[in-house]
Amino acid sequence: MKEAHHGEGDTKTYRYGMVVNLDKCTGCGACMVACMAENNLPFRKDNSDRLRSQLWMRVYKISNGQPFPDADISYIPRPCQHCEGKDHHHATPCVSVCPATATDYSHETGIVSQIYTRCFGCRYCMAACPYHVRVFNWWDPVWPKGMKNYLNPDVSVRMRGVVEKCSFCYHRLQRARNKAYAEERRELHEDEYQTACTQACPAGAITFGDLDDPHHKVYKLKKDPNAFRLLEKLGTNTKVYYVSTRDWVRKAAHAYTGKNQGIMPG
Amino acid sequence: MKLDRRTFIEVALGFSIGAGTGFMLTPVNWKLMDDMTIWSQELWPRYQLGGLKGKLPQRGEVSNADTVCKLCPGGCGITVRKVEKRATKIEGRDGYPVNDGGICPLGASGLQLLYGPWRTPGPLKRSGKRGSGHFSRISWEEAIHEVVEKLSALRHHGEAHKVAAILDSDRGTVPQLFSRFLQAYGSPNFIRTASDQDTYELTLKLMQGADSSVGYDLEGANFILSFGSGLIEGWGAPVRVIQAHSIWRSGNGTKRAKVVQIEPRLSNTAAKADDWYPIKPGTEGALAMGLAHVIVKESLYDFSFIGSQTFGFEDWSDVTGKTYTGFKRLVMDEYGPANVSKITGLSAKKIVDLARAFAKAERPLAVWGRGKGTTSGSLYECMAVHALNALVGNINKPGGVSTRPEVAMQPWPEVVVDNIAWAGSSMPRADGAGTSRYPLTKYLPDRWPQIVSGSDGGGIKALLVQGADPCFTTMDSAAVAKAFEQIPFVVSFSTFLDETAFNADLVLPNHHYLERWEDVPTPIGLHKPVLGLCKPVVSPQFDTKHVGDVLMTIAKSLGGTVAEAFPWGDYESVLKDTMGEKWDTLEEMGYVAEADYRLSTWGSTFGTPSGKFEFYVSTFDQAGKEISEDVGYLPHYQPIKPEGNAVRYPLILIPTELMRLADGAVGNPPFCTKTMEENELKGNDLFVEVNPKTAAEYGLSEGLHATLTTPKGKGTVLVHLSEGIMPGLIGIPKGLGHTAYDDYLAGKGISANSLMGVVEDPVSGLCATWGIRAKLTRA
Amino acid sequence: MDSASAPFDSALFPEGTKRCQLRWFIVWLGILHGPLMVGVLAAVMCWGLALNVTYLNNNFPFGLWIAADLGVIALGAGAFFTGFLRYVVKIDELKNIVNYAVVIGVVCYAAAQGILGVDIGQPLRGWFIFWHANVHSMLTEVAFCITCYFMVLCIEYLPLILENRQINKLGFFHGMAHHLHEAMPTIAAIGVFLSFFHQGSLGGVPGVLYGRPFAFREGFLVWPWTFFLFILSAIACGPCFTILITWITERFARKQLVKRNVFDILAKISGRLLALYLVLKTMDTIYWIAVAGKAGAPFRSFYTNQPYGYWVLVMELGILGVIPMIILLNKRARQNENLLILACILNCSGIFMNRWIMTVQSLAVPVMSFDKFVSYHPNWVEYASTLMFVWVGVIVISISYRYLPIFPQEKELNPL
Ligand SMILES: Nc1nc2c(c(=O)[nH]1)N[C@H]1C(S)=C(S)[C@@H](COP(=O)(O)OP(=O)(O)OC[C@H]3O[C@@H](n4cnc5c(=O)[nH]c(N)nc54)[C@H](O)[C@@H]3O)O[C@H]1N2
Ligand SMILES: Nc1nc2c(c(=O)[nH]1)N[C@H]1C(S)=C(S)[C@@H](COP(=O)(O)OP(=O)(O)OC[C@H]3O[C@@H](n4cnc5c(=O)[nH]c(N)nc54)[C@H](O)[C@@H]3O)O[C@H]1N2
Ligand code: SF4
Ligand code: SF4
Ligand code: SF4
Ligand code: SF4
Ligand code: SF4
Ligand SMILES: [Mo]
Repeated sequence: MKEAHHGEGDTKTYRYGMVVNLDKCTGCGACMVACMAENNLPFRKDNSDRLRSQLWMRVYKISNGQPFPDADISYIPRPCQHCEGKDHHHATPCVSVCPATATDYSHETGIVSQIYTRCFGCRYCMAACPYHVRVFNWWDPVWPKGMKNYLNPDVSVRMRGVVEKCSFCYHRLQRARNKAYAEERRELHEDEYQTACTQACPAGAITFGDLDDPHHKVYKLKKDPNAFRLLEKLGTNTKVYYVSTRDWVRKAAHAYTGKNQGIMPG
Repeated sequence: MKLDRRTFIEVALGFSIGAGTGFMLTPVNWKLMDDMTIWSQELWPRYQLGGLKGKLPQRGEVSNADTVCKLCPGGCGITVRKVEKRATKIEGRDGYPVNDGGICPLGASGLQLLYGPWRTPGPLKRSGKRGSGHFSRISWEEAIHEVVEKLSALRHHGEAHKVAAILDSDRGTVPQLFSRFLQAYGSPNFIRTASDQDTYELTLKLMQGADSSVGYDLEGANFILSFGSGLIEGWGAPVRVIQAHSIWRSGNGTKRAKVVQIEPRLSNTAAKADDWYPIKPGTEGALAMGLAHVIVKESLYDFSFIGSQTFGFEDWSDVTGKTYTGFKRLVMDEYGPANVSKITGLSAKKIVDLARAFAKAERPLAVWGRGKGTTSGSLYECMAVHALNALVGNINKPGGVSTRPEVAMQPWPEVVVDNIAWAGSSMPRADGAGTSRYPLTKYLPDRWPQIVSGSDGGGIKALLVQGADPCFTTMDSAAVAKAFEQIPFVVSFSTFLDETAFNADLVLPNHHYLERWEDVPTPIGLHKPVLGLCKPVVSPQFDTKHVGDVLMTIAKSLGGTVAEAFPWGDYESVLKDTMGEKWDTLEEMGYVAEADYRLSTWGSTFGTPSGKFEFYVSTFDQAGKEISEDVGYLPHYQPIKPEGNAVRYPLILIPTELMRLADGAVGNPPFCTKTMEENELKGNDLFVEVNPKTAAEYGLSEGLHATLTTPKGKGTVLVHLSEGIMPGLIGIPKGLGHTAYDDYLAGKGISANSLMGVVEDPVSGLCATWGIRAKLTRA
Repeated sequence: MDSASAPFDSALFPEGTKRCQLRWFIVWLGILHGPLMVGVLAAVMCWGLALNVTYLNNNFPFGLWIAADLGVIALGAGAFFTGFLRYVVKIDELKNIVNYAVVIGVVCYAAAQGILGVDIGQPLRGWFIFWHANVHSMLTEVAFCITCYFMVLCIEYLPLILENRQINKLGFFHGMAHHLHEAMPTIAAIGVFLSFFHQGSLGGVPGVLYGRPFAFREGFLVWPWTFFLFILSAIACGPCFTILITWITERFARKQLVKRNVFDILAKISGRLLALYLVLKTMDTIYWIAVAGKAGAPFRSFYTNQPYGYWVLVMELGILGVIPMIILLNKRARQNENLLILACILNCSGIFMNRWIMTVQSLAVPVMSFDKFVSYHPNWVEYASTLMFVWVGVIVISISYRYLPIFPQEKELNPL
């Protein structure tokens, strides 16, 4: 079967993005695990050092910094924000700095890609990303005996010394495209392409779809009065929205302003 | 001389310069560079995956298989994505009546448990000392032969009743095969591991005369009052409850339901709740009674239900004219807000407001079962909470509480017992359940000292363990370990090399749940009948056998009536027979759910002596249970004192539970451990949660190593300061401190159970521990 | 002279110069190989065991290595800038130090590329930066310019080799050296262009990171202000570094190699450029405070976490900026050799600190409100592999000094 390519020939372009409902998110971590399982993320005997371990989806635990019993916590699931950037000068932070074009912003899909075999590990993109989304392979991935049995063939296994990150499960888009193509369709339905984290979330806190398509749920959800994006003022123009009815949580979206503010790691 | 030197130098220079430029001009080095690159992109990564030949991971035919997750009592439907024969991903099954597409982190990690190095490779015989984990592989024939020899010997020495089996459940064909086996063999000692179900079942028996566990219509309720239940920490059927939680939270801005969490610590459930009321741990029963007081005083209760369907609400007198205190007078006299406020630490105003809000809500629901519900808990506390539900009349009502229904199945033929079996079965249970002391309790799984001591019928000589890991999940690990030493013969059927397997003489590994057939009865807490089917989606990865088949082979080799009790050829035919005409639907759909299921009406609900909902439990007398004082017949606040001396142990340690950390019979897989927060686990040390005030008193600071000591044991921990925990308490996560499995899990942190003790509920005899006195000192 | 006392390799020495015995020279090289080997070991560990052997992590993808890279390149600016003054501005006096400036430049740029070779996670693919070049990336700009300029430096270095007493005897090489000298102004001019560009691009590396309010600067066309500040700071300290190294070499050689008026010219120019730099840097800092504020990151938020308190500003601009500037601008002060050297040391440290701040501190400052502040310090592997290139440099310099006519004034200042 001739398989559909990355958007060529399709008349329609998409701006895929997410809306995460923080009132529903329970911090259960299923999204993190689903992502690791779907995208062949490695694990080590000791993963407790977050500064060295790889999570494409990281669920941040944040606290309002109030004393007992007024303390409150919330969770912020953080995949790659697939920043669109503002303009030529403010293109996607990571993409614009990569010297080897190993990461790219697709205007057909709004997805920020990462080519592991192209990346040579200079880590400039990591410096550019304010969301700590990009993680480096400090080790070669090693699977205990038998474990490589569950590896997903749709996602290449990364080698040491390269940077990786959330791809919005790009391979699932390709799968959907191929299917649509086989059925001689140009457009994808909302439910045909869903990310692994969205699908797994037991709370249904994550909604994924085309932010520009009025028929997709995210189109309305992103307009919720309580919707916000992380570090909006930087002009990264992210495509992951969050919704929370709690003021202090919405405040967490803004830049770090020093120690004298309430929000802190939980 | 000089001249030679010069020529030498000139030649040397000329040569080196020549060679240098020469090499740079050849294409060799450029070609080399390109090859090296490809090596770094293709060959090295493949080598890392353990195979240079063929592209890894292998591609191939993709297919999906539906089955049911067995990693917890949640009974979620799952869809396994396969590539050729490999299972590559577990996803929640869309449209499944329990979890509609959702999955939890543990369930999503199932493949690590399937392919991981912690699997029991095949039948094992202990070669080292107990717990050393030294085994030698033996054949299935040998393994089964060993068991048969031991069991027939015991049986012929009239010690059949000294055999016990402990399982994670008593429902479904596999547990039923075990209980049938013991019945035919001649032992009363079928034991089920502890959970809040123990106490709730007893409560329903006492107050409603029902032989069932509880079912909550969480989705239908619009005011949820949780007495410490970790609703989103993995309580009940975890994914189902989380989805209910999302229903409560949906409805833009204005939430669909109000959630109030009663708990001394800011758990995720507490954080998400609309109101979080931290009260002194262990006083939940008092609060429930206090709320009842306000509801009764202000006549906010359901008159029709209380009037027509209950017994013992008002004072009453028997035929002899002796009058008895009713529930109403008890709450009015003893549980005024001021008094309850003193006990619980919650302000009288809050108590009154909460009671009003609860009673006035359209569909209020009070839920019980501490944390994930992994301990039995206090009987009177459970009764008090259940009484609240009765007061608002939500028994067997939409959005209320009911008994958990099961999908009807084909009954099995009566067991024909021989004399030995008859004699053995009529002996008292080793754990003391059902004896005059605890006539109404079904199982007392945490009483290991009694089970092995020989007093009141104990003195177990052989133990069969299936689907449970009592050595890890039971409180007071030291006592359990000691008890196991006294059991001469322990057989584990564990799929994984867990703590109990390490303490077994023989391990006869069951298939992994993705490799076997098994029925999955209605998951705990559900109010609708759902029967799921666990199907093999991959061929057995190791030399394992279905525990059902192994057990029947054992029975058949024992011969006589024991053999006759099992007329089936193999486990699959057991399953087919039991499911009867439902089998076809089950096999095709993967589950059977009665869509048209209706809650039974009040009249037909209560099997109590009075035929009504009993605030005053007359079943006690009927069962010959000694109740010292009158109040003992009514729900009331009965303090359960934590072990330990308040002077030596100024603080109180409470277990905390995390959705990302499995604390049951299944060890936490690497993926889940990887998701744990930096302030929960660091290297091999876990963090305990302490309020900064408390920390200041004891000179503790964030990240500091400290020694945690309780009357039951001590361990080294790291300190995490949290404003989310009540001063004076220490929170320790449950599920770490494994000694078995392998070094992806073993040795990480300490086991909360090793620091906890078993405090028995005076009436049920079940473990009512909610915490223990402790001290925390700089290490 | 009597051949017994003359070193075995004296025939290679520059005309009319004195050098130590070959055995001592070999011993000296031997000593240098000690720490060098430790560095090699560290590098081999990085390549063999992957970068987990360092203290770098996902919060600090850049550490000592990148800071050092930016540092040495700035220090190496002495080469092109002296060349610029000598061949383009035609300050003839500088011919007496330009050779050495070139040697130092070669060393610095070689070091920069060597360090990158260890720093990147997939050294075998390092060449992708050229092959799959992304023209929008400052790093691409840097890579191309640095490589080209390194070639230029080599060409500037070549005549020195060819002028070795023996090689020069060979007619072909003699001629070649002569022609290269002819071409030198042109080559120098090319070098100047390239250098201005990559010094700037290096400034662009942090300056374009608009996701990092601490590093981000607005600017002119595609170039953030740091682009220009880096050029200026580099040429303001490069000459000082040349002076410093020459001075140190003189200590080892136990003889004066360059006349002081040459130092004075460089020092004076350095001082004026430094003054200009400090003015512009101060303006930039003030403007940056406003820009960062717009992005929601108040000034104080950058300095609330130790070790990166306000002292950083005082240190960088005050102690390591203003003080050397004053010394260098004041004739009497800079003609006091001790003060001059002190100024050079402060000035060079200042540049290094600035590069560290722009890279490492930029990453240390939390951006998301719920980020945890974490600090970073390099481990021995990073130190050893970085210093490795210092030892290589010393070796190259030692050999060059021994065999090549680097210091035209040496003979005159030290008659045999
Ligand atoms: N699903 C799907 N399958 C397809 C097609 C499709 O459209 N969709 N198209 C078909 C067609 S027409 C073609 S030509 C093939 C192309 O099939 P592929 O050759 O697989 O094309 P890509 O997947 O774009 O690139 C393959 C890999 O090359 C890596 N790569 C990028 N740069 C470099 C590099 O410099 N060196 C090395 N070694 N690797 C690098 C990328 O990481 C990527 O994973 O796919 C065919 N199969
Ligand atoms: N971003 C990105 N761009 C790429 C590549 C990449 O990997 N990534 N790969 C490059 C490569 S290797 C290739 S081969 C090209 C392929 O690029 P294309 O040649 O564009 O390949 P497709 O997009 O798969 O096919 C083009 C369109 O032809 C239509 N089509 C398919 N079959 C038929 C048919 O029978 N009749 C008619 N009328 N229409 C048909 C479909 O609408 C399809 O979208 O893309 C190149 N461009
Ligand atoms: S799975 Fe859903 S609920 Fe769980 S942490 Fe992720 S987003 Fe939150
Ligand atoms: S979040 Fe980070 S990695 Fe993702 S696109 Fe934005 S800058 Fe790039
Ligand atoms: S690390 Fe890889 S992806 Fe990131 S900038 Fe460097 S080459 Fe590009
Ligand atoms: S979208 Fe896909 S890759 Fe990104 S976090 Fe979710 S699961 Fe991971
Ligand atoms: S909740 Fe229980 S049953 Fe459901 S997926 Fe998780 S572990 Fe499996
Ligand atoms: Mo192609």
